[in-house]
Amino acid sequence: MSEETGLINRKFSRRTFLKATGALGAAVALTGAKDTLLQQSVAKAAVAAPAEEKLIPTFCAMCGPSAGCGILAKVVNGKFVGIEPMPECPLNNGKNCPKAHAAPQWVYSPERLKYPMKRVGKKGEGKFQRITWDEAIKLIADKLLELKAKYGPESLGTVSPARRSYSEYIYRFLMTHGSPNYGHSGICAVQRMFVLSYTVGGVPSADWANADLILLWGKQPIYSGSAKGGVASFLAAKERGAKVIAIKPTMESDVAKSDMWVPLRPGTDAALGLAMINVIINEKLYDAKFVEEWCYGFDQLKQHIQQYPPEWAEPITGVPAEQIKTVARMYATTPKAAIDVSNGPEHARAANDAIRCIGILMAITGHLDKKGCNVWGAGSTMPSPRGVHLFERYTQEWVDKLLGYELPPQFQPFIEGTSCSLYRLWNSVLGGEKYPVRAIIAPGSQSVASTRGTKRILEALEKLEFFVIVDVTRTSDMPWADVVVPVCTMYETDHPFEVSGNWIMARNKVIEPLGDYKSDYEFWLDLGTACGYGADWWNGDIKAHMDWRLEPLGMTYEELRTKYPRGRTYEPKPPEYEQYAKRFAAKSTRIDKGPYLPQGKVALYNTLFEAAGFTPMPVWRELPEGPTATPELLEKYPLLLSDYHTSRTYNAAWLRHVPYLREIEPYPYLQIHPDTAKSLGIKDGDWVKVESPHGWIKMKAQYYPGIRPDVVFALHGWWQGCQELGFEDFPLGDGGANTNNMYTTDPQKMYDPIITAMTSQTLVRVTKL
Amino acid sequence: MAKQYGFWIEIDRCVECYACEVACKAEHNVDLGIKWRRVTNVWSGSFPNVTFKTISLSCMHCEKPACEAVCPTGAIKKQPGTGIVTVDQTKCIGCHYCFFACPFGVPQYGKDGTMQKCNMCAERLAKGQEPKCVSTCPGNALHFGTMEELSKLAQEKVAKKLAASTNPSVIISK
Repeated sequence: MSEETGLINRKFSRRTFLKATGALGAAVALTGAKDTLLQQSVAKAAVAAPAEEKLIPTFCAMCGPSAGCGILAKVVNGKFVGIEPMPECPLNNGKNCPKAHAAPQWVYSPERLKYPMKRVGKKGEGKFQRITWDEAIKLIADKLLELKAKYGPESLGTVSPARRSYSEYIYRFLMTHGSPNYGHSGICAVQRMFVLSYTVGGVPSADWANADLILLWGKQPIYSGSAKGGVASFLAAKERGAKVIAIKPTMESDVAKSDMWVPLRPGTDAALGLAMINVIINEKLYDAKFVEEWCYGFDQLKQHIQQYPPEWAEPITGVPAEQIKTVARMYATTPKAAIDVSNGPEHARAANDAIRCIGILMAITGHLDKKGCNVWGAGSTMPSPRGVHLFERYTQEWVDKLLGYELPPQFQPFIEGTSCSLYRLWNSVLGGEKYPVRAIIAPGSQSVASTRGTKRILEALEKLEFFVIVDVTRTSDMPWADVVVPVCTMYETDHPFEVSGNWIMARNKVIEPLGDYKSDYEFWLDLGTACGYGADWWNGDIKAHMDWRLEPLGMTYEELRTKYPRGRTYEPKPPEYEQYAKRFAAKSTRIDKGPYLPQGKVALYNTLFEAAGFTPMPVWRELPEGPTATPELLEKYPLLLSDYHTSRTYNAAWLRHVPYLREIEPYPYLQIHPDTAKSLGIKDGDWVKVESPHGWIKMKAQYYPGIRPDVVFALHGWWQGCQELGFEDFPLGDGGANTNNMYTTDPQKMYDPIITAMTSQTLVRVTKL
Repeated sequence: MAKQYGFWIEIDRCVECYACEVACKAEHNVDLGIKWRRVTNVWSGSFPNVTFKTISLSCMHCEKPACEAVCPTGAIKKQPGTGIVTVDQTKCIGCHYCFFACPFGVPQYGKDGTMQKCNMCAERLAKGQEPKCVSTCPGNALHFGTMEELSKLAQEKVAKKLAASTNPSVIISK
């Protein structure tokens, strides 16, 4: 690696340095008093007991357990104090982000849950009594079995934040209990994976290493795990001379480093995509041969797309028609061009349409499965560890039992299993769906702060019969919990293993658990066993379970740990290109296992969606409220609000309590263009009231030159204070700083119709407080 | 000639991720409210032709430190051999002279009232480790070495950029 990047990764030489300082004892001479004091205290400690320093290879856990970056955890006298680089992990190559360095503050935070508790006060009051781990497990098991006998097993639902390595355990528990009601957030990843699978037969990724042009579409490679390779591949592409066009409403560092910025209004990606297809088809810039051989429904698409010229898209997107044409032409005419689409277009009423457009753009321009374009990737020679999910037990009857859908029932289960949208699960408690759930388990999930419809969820929390929280720290929903189960951080457990590409490594315990708790994984094993499903749960034996998972690799968990302390690497498979017959024949995850693409071709015209009652081709669906959607509201609410899904220093609604991270972004900022702010008499740093037709919040105005003057942006997930810095919690609903409180909950307007992606756009009025 | 160690920051590789800031604070257990390394954006232009660059700066470890010159107690010292500017907190009386003298606003004062700032991770260097901010930088934007090495690398980078694949027939020099 150092050879490739030449001067960039040049190693610092200790010998050169010590030579420069003139002596081996230089360390003492050159350091200041802080170090002298340190040395004195170390010297004192040495008399009593020598400081024991250990470096333990393991994974960072600040983005939640799954695909963690490799670290060497530094432990001094039994205390986790910091991290050092572990270059063996191919995910981050020894680099780490700010969150990773703040880990000890998270582990030793006063916000940690120390022991299991049960509610003794009223719901919402937050009064609890200490109980033991075993008592908590028994209490939950008894109640779930009682509700199962009374209302059927589907009376239980779970709310899941995102894909985690414990998500499969939740699915397994629901399967063994008998409920399909896995509530998924409906705002991330599954949405685009679903639409791309049913449009181009898979989720081909942008080939950053070889592309000459990359459309960075609603993706943030820096905020979404800066150490995980996104930054490195972005910078390497730029240094190679590749051009990057950033399509997103605000300018962040990635946009500033791009060659062109397409500052569209939030939620209007579908309109932009439709207009780009229009340009490419009408200017005959498409790959006629590929379209003929591998696309289904081109004639219908050509006719359909005539209603969406760039001039039509200009007032909706706010992007000049000329710029739309330029981007479309550049993408279509650059042979090695890729689209890197992520979470941005997923938060809109026309989310599925936007992502369908992106899949169609890749296909008609012949930019699929070719080097430098969107590729399926090489795969690994590593045998897959056994999955925990009981996929083989799915039946049509099971799918039919779902109380409300995240994805249409005809297409369930998708790759993550059966799911209803997380919001629908809460809505069911208030009688808004097919039937209500009576109990919800929230493992690493805080719906009030993370999901739209804050007021409805707060109402549902009051009414829900039984609510269990499984978490590391206090959450926004905790005052309503009946049982709180603390779990350890991933620095306090030695399982599970993590996989990154062709590499697998066992997790090592950094410190002993600080309280009466076990891991997320052990929680499900214990609960499954306590409910009488022990045969499916290794009777609670985590060691036997980990060995079972690794059987396909021909080693036990201990062997993985001891033989491969810095991980085991398998040979990668060589990449394959233009494997269209194979790619477009991919089998789906549905009950019938039929292919994603019934014609064996890219679905420009989607017959499966049509049969399920949806539009066969992408269309435009207006925002719930917006400049062109509801011009009548503009006088009262002149600005369009949307929010960021994630940030450099926080994960969704988490980590606001970690002081080193909170210092970087101490307040809930409302990014506003300086001209807009000045016209409203708002100074940089003023506290402002942000009002939408659905709610209001308080934020701190931040003059932001890199934003459209008609748009304001905020980070979502604000609720938690930070004790060390003297910041108190914000209210969860009106008067707080929770952007989820601002959007519509009208079922006709809050979702995309196919993928139930939840909208995060509304019109607002901003006034100085 | 004595060596001067220093940092090289490649602005076009800095992505404003703040890893250096937090890594530094965690390494040195820096008080809340104090930063030995700071990430700053500099904006130019106006919407939609707007952009910004990000820079990460710590103590400049100047060749002629203004802070050292005004320090009445001799707490601030430029170390021979490495050029690292250090502060001996047992000698510092918290008079803030250095704060007023430093053109970069580097000196900061912690709970104990004494000055503190970047020491180039001298204790890590002695163990053969790079400064924490450098070793963690996800963009490889921060580099550490002697000024001689670093300026050579910076020149090589410019040369490489100019050469590109088109091999322009232009010489650019001072």
